[in-house]
Amino acid sequence: MGTVTPSYCEGLALSAPKDETRRELNRFLADVERKAYRMARIALRHDDDALDAVQDAMLQLARRYAARPSAEWRPLFYRILENRIRDLQRRRMVRGKVMALLPWRRDEDGEARDPVAEAPDHGPGPADQVEGQNVMAALEAALAKLPGRQREAFLLRSMEGLDVAATAAAMGCSDGSVKTHYFRAVQALKAQLGEFWT
Amino acid sequence: MNTDHEPGEFERRTAALLRDSAENLDGATRARLTRARAAALEPANRARSWLDFRYLAPAGAMAAAVLATVLIVGPGEHVAPVNDATNSALFDMDLLADADAFEIAQETDLEFIEWAAAQGELDGAGG
Repeated sequence: MGTVTPSYCEGLALSAPKDETRRELNRFLADVERKAYRMARIALRHDDDALDAVQDAMLQLARRYAARPSAEWRPLFYRILENRIRDLQRRRMVRGKVMALLPWRRDEDGEARDPVAEAPDHGPGPADQVEGQNVMAALEAALAKLPGRQREAFLLRSMEGLDVAATAAAMGCSDGSVKTHYFRAVQALKAQLGEFWT
Repeated sequence: MNTDHEPGEFERRTAALLRDSAENLDGATRARLTRARAAALEPANRARSWLDFRYLAPAGAMAAAVLATVLIVGPGEHVAPVNDATNSALFDMDLLADADAFEIAQETDLEFIEWAAAQGELDGAGG
């Protein structure tokens, strides 16, 4: 299967889906919503932002692409979701830069405070968390440190179980790029989580 | 499915962990996701579509056209409607302003005037 071209932009059905389509769409969204939320949560490290991203992706899929063949929904949905995640990350970055420029945001030493750097770190470093119930937190922290495209490729392939072609469609890149991103993600995660993880 | 790559132990383990974490979300988050899904599929949400640009654009164009018409044509001559009550009021004002006319009006025998007017009409018709 090749990559999905931007042809999905054709024939946008800016309306609510019909009953049968709605039932099918409901089943599809019910199947992906939790995984999508986890992906968004790992990328954004914020519950409400993650939920907003998933809800926006659901709305866009239902409003714009419900008329597309259901086989295309999954890569489309994740593509919309990733775009939304990137939008939120960009917005957060801009907000952080603006806030850093404000004079009353400087600390006693006159250093500009970086809201992103000051964001709460969910627990200790990855290597210290690979025991008991902290295993998931360690994995999540390690994933959050990956470059966005590597994280995206890894999560789509490992958690969602998409093959290379579907992952490429969701990411809007070539199969080769997916393989590269995925390989690098695995290597980086192994390095972060330590040898005893395997 | 991963048809073109055989995942190693590390990948299998991380994949299982991630799927478990997705399946075991807390109830509040699951409920919010369910509500979000229902909202996405709800046809009633189309009620918001009146705010869409495709509706606002023609409305804005219409408003601009009306405004342009008013500005170009201008307000024009305004002719106020005049009714009997207005005429009567104006007559009374003239009468009050003119002292002589007021006195004449007070002394006039209206019955005589009406009789004279009737006679005039009869003469006209007969003559």
